[in-house]
Amino acid sequence: MDRQVIRVLALASLVTTAPFGAAAHQLIVFASVDCEGVTVEAKFSNGRVVQKGEVRVFDGNNALQSTLELQSDGTANVPLDTVDHSGGLVIEVDTGGHDNYWIVTPEDIARKCGS
Amino acid sequence: MKNYLLTASLAAFIAATPAWSHYGMIIPSDPMISQEDGRSVGLTMSFSHPFELDGMMLDSPVAFSVTHEGSTTDLLSSLQDATVMEEQGYTLNYPLERPGTYIFSMEPQPYWEPAEDAFIIHYTKTYVTAYGDDEGWDTELGLKTEVVPLTKPFGLWEHNVFQGIIKLDGEPVPYAEVEVEFFNEGLAATAPDELMITQTVKADADGVFTYAPPAAGWWGFAALNTADYTITEEGSGEEKAVELGAVIWVHFEEWTGK
Repeated sequence: MDRQVIRVLALASLVTTAPFGAAAHQLIVFASVDCEGVTVEAKFSNGRVVQKGEVRVFDGNNALQSTLELQSDGTANVPLDTVDHSGGLVIEVDTGGHDNYWIVTPEDIARKCGS
Repeated sequence: MKNYLLTASLAAFIAATPAWSHYGMIIPSDPMISQEDGRSVGLTMSFSHPFELDGMMLDSPVAFSVTHEGSTTDLLSSLQDATVMEEQGYTLNYPLERPGTYIFSMEPQPYWEPAEDAFIIHYTKTYVTAYGDDEGWDTELGLKTEVVPLTKPFGLWEHNVFQGIIKLDGEPVPYAEVEVEFFNEGLAATAPDELMITQTVKADADGVFTYAPPAAGWWGFAALNTADYTITEEGSGEEKAVELGAVIWVHFEEWTGK
């Protein structure tokens, strides 16, 4: 599944499940990847770290793979061997009042660990 | 009489000489990179008269770097030769590993401009934001001279004002002159008078200037000052003045409302 399809699925998911955040500050979600796992980071656009929130991990077919809580430093770790990442991943963070997502593409994973 | 004719002829020549300003240029493929845009930004570096798309030779810069999250990385060896506006320029594709603001900065070699009897050094920079995170948009690099943005230097609508502080050796420059010019891609814009090609505003007593562009696109702001040193011109062996330019390129977006 290519990045465009993942993106469409992610956007469709967001449109159907979450309202757009209309607050003055936005939620910024980013995920970096290495061969071991995905490190999720969430902060608000004013620089404040998100202290509490739910992280949902979807595979390339938009199937929920994992749900976990953000740590108090605004990060979460998703071991790659616990999810099907062959078609990429959509990492969604929901703080209750804000939500946003980051798409980990198969190319992102391949670039970082050469697989 | 002969002297008069010579003077008149010289005046006509000077009048016919374009009054365009020189600009160091760093133009990103996009000033706001979202995750859907990919994981890198393309950059094109040149030296030109941007309204007329009149390129000049940009020799290998003295310095080219990127600053992100307080860390500066030398990118000089990563520049690729390119022809820009029919002259020597450079390109670079830079990977954006993390969110935040990336400030690309270039110090060119001194450019000898016989028409001005001076050397020109334009310290040039532009700001690129990645993945929705604008942290670092007001970063001051500590260049010899630079425009420190008071307005976020991306995410601007056309007609928004842009404000910055002009600094030289880290200090604001009261009433400094700032030349403003449009990067006239495709030569779509025409000027009814030469005075409209390069507009000029002055900073206030605190070195703060303000400008609102009439249209979307890339706009260059060049704050010009004379250096407190000279450079020897090889041909004549004479010491020549040095024009220091603090150049920043800012993109204004087309208003999408009615």
